[in-house]
Amino acid sequence: MNIISVGVNHKTAPIEIRERIALSEVQNKEFVTDLVSSGLASEAMVVSTCNRTELYVVPAMSEVNCDYLKEYLIAYKDARNTVRPEHFFNRFYCGTARHLFEVSSAIDSLVLGEGQILGQVKDAYRIAAEVGTAGILLTRLCHTAFSVAKKVKTRTKLMEGAVSVSYAAVELAQKIFSNLSMKKVLLVGAGETGELAAKHMYAKNARNIVITNRTLSKAEALAEELGTNRVLPYESYKEHLHEFDIIITAVSTKEYILNEAEMQQSMMRRRLKPVIMLDLGLPRNIDPEVGKLQNMFLKDIDALKHIIDKNLERRRAELPKVKEIIDEELVGFGQWINTLKVRPTIVDLQSKFIEIKEKELERYRHKVSEEELRRMEHLTDRILKKILHHPIKMLKAPVDTADNIPSKVNLVRNIFDLEEPNQSLQ
Amino acid sequence: MANIFLENSLLFTLTQLVPLLYIATSALYGLHFFRELPLAGKLKQPALILTIVSHIADIGLLTSIEGYRLSYSAYNLMSMVALTLTITYMFIELTTKSDKTGFFVIAFAAGSALLSSILSAKTIDAGPAFSGLGIGVHLIAAIFGFSSIAIAGLYSGLYLILFRQIRLNRFGLLFQRLPNLEVLELLIMHAVAFGFFFLSITIGAGIVEQQASQESIRLLDPKLISIVVIWLLYGISLFVKPLVGWDIKHMAVLLIATFVLVTALLFIMSLFTPSFHGVSI
Repeated sequence: MNIISVGVNHKTAPIEIRERIALSEVQNKEFVTDLVSSGLASEAMVVSTCNRTELYVVPAMSEVNCDYLKEYLIAYKDARNTVRPEHFFNRFYCGTARHLFEVSSAIDSLVLGEGQILGQVKDAYRIAAEVGTAGILLTRLCHTAFSVAKKVKTRTKLMEGAVSVSYAAVELAQKIFSNLSMKKVLLVGAGETGELAAKHMYAKNARNIVITNRTLSKAEALAEELGTNRVLPYESYKEHLHEFDIIITAVSTKEYILNEAEMQQSMMRRRLKPVIMLDLGLPRNIDPEVGKLQNMFLKDIDALKHIIDKNLERRRAELPKVKEIIDEELVGFGQWINTLKVRPTIVDLQSKFIEIKEKELERYRHKVSEEELRRMEHLTDRILKKILHHPIKMLKAPVDTADNIPSKVNLVRNIFDLEEPNQSLQ
Repeated sequence: MANIFLENSLLFTLTQLVPLLYIATSALYGLHFFRELPLAGKLKQPALILTIVSHIADIGLLTSIEGYRLSYSAYNLMSMVALTLTITYMFIELTTKSDKTGFFVIAFAAGSALLSSILSAKTIDAGPAFSGLGIGVHLIAAIFGFSSIAIAGLYSGLYLILFRQIRLNRFGLLFQRLPNLEVLELLIMHAVAFGFFFLSITIGAGIVEQQASQESIRLLDPKLISIVVIWLLYGISLFVKPLVGWDIKHMAVLLIATFVLVTALLFIMSLFTPSFHGVSI
């Protein structure tokens, strides 16, 4: 029994290749169903996100190898002109398990420790389970991967700290102010960047968010979406600067929209109470001289990237702990796989003894009463259980390497004169 | 006269053990703050409680010699400063659920306890002992007052460090682990309020006691002058800031300076002029 994984991801292929090979949910369902129903695979699952499309397959035929699966996917996506087998990676057996554990725990992600991938792997498993292509092996593999991800999240700090500019802005604000719900936030610019920053602020309990934008309707739409319903006309927002503790600017402009004199005046009006100004615009929206004012924390994108770099550094420092967790789970998963290999021998062994027991009891069926036969059956069951206990325990016991399993299996089969194992069970 | 610590083996052992416990506790807080060792995180609070209990037992045993009266010696003052600082910190940790500043406060307390232990080796006797409710309140309030000054100074230092780190885009360990600026400001203002309260009691109890005993005290005693100056400064900090918005950064600098000056003054005066405001006891 083998498990293969092939796929393209951000490490093996550029974005134009990844987007060409990606599968939608509908395609995902159709693809895995085709693989299994055509008899090529006994189990199949596809993890498809913007950064990866990866197949996890338990082949049902010896011809179904990595190259076969790559060609199968390329053909399914009709992408022979752009996607080549060299864009794929290959993993086998424990390598497949390790890879899925690394993917689920987000150490294989483009942004180390990002929080979305686990949900995406869960979605992939859900799809496979819904269409019935997730069997015993993939189910166990996925559940172990979820367990790895959970342990990584609780035991390490891999997912801590902001790794996006808009979230870093919120993290910085929380290092200055203890309770964002008590602070007044001004968002200048209702574009994508501003919207993201406002949403992060809102998620951290900032409720007093006022939006201003050159096109007032956009400000109103965003305010409504956030549920604050508070906007200021762009022409007059500067008159209210002193009221705000956090000012976020994200507008597209070639000139500074706020200068030192304006902010100096605002600071005097608010009795020098600290202000954070987060300039998320490119080119910058706020005159850098503003940052020199007393109790003024002016941060642009570069400054926020310092926070991101530090957080990523801290996340990288957690990698040894994550790998330790993966190794632990991999050992457990490997042992479970090994028990699958000895399972047919255990079944054969039990069948053989039951057969002997039934033959012997049959000889006495008409010589003893029903009650006596029942007692004899009970007694033989107990004897069989005790005789078989040790050989079964020995078969199930963990082994150093998978290579030791055949010698153990052969030993038991020879001693008890068992027939050749049924291939379908292996 | 014989050294009282050498005559009592239990007192001697406890007196040597207390600074070691302070050092161990501050090491645990340090390991948890800088290295985030889970074991240190688990052990630090029990260690803090054990240190406080041992220290109280040590002071109880020491003062029992003088009928449980506080004595005025450099050893005792430094020891009491360590204890009150630690108790005040424990109160902060339990009420705010924040243990991020523990290392800085307890390390200072450990320094005081260690100094006290060193001074105890030179102590000939327990120093002049005081009796009476007024002088007891005066002394205890003064010690708690100094602890508040120390905490205000230490938190002011942390505030300025974090402020500077944010201004200079240095988002390192201290940025990650210290409480935010607003919390530090709140802690400073609480320490100032406590300081003002205890110094008011110190001054009030001192006046009452002086009038009751008819003892003449030296009005130009540096301790007396400094306590009044600090009391005024703390009062102004408390009442002026909300009215005119005194910048916390400037206030923090002044509080650090106050803390450093008072610590130096207390130590020097205790070593070289072991008299009580010029009164011979």
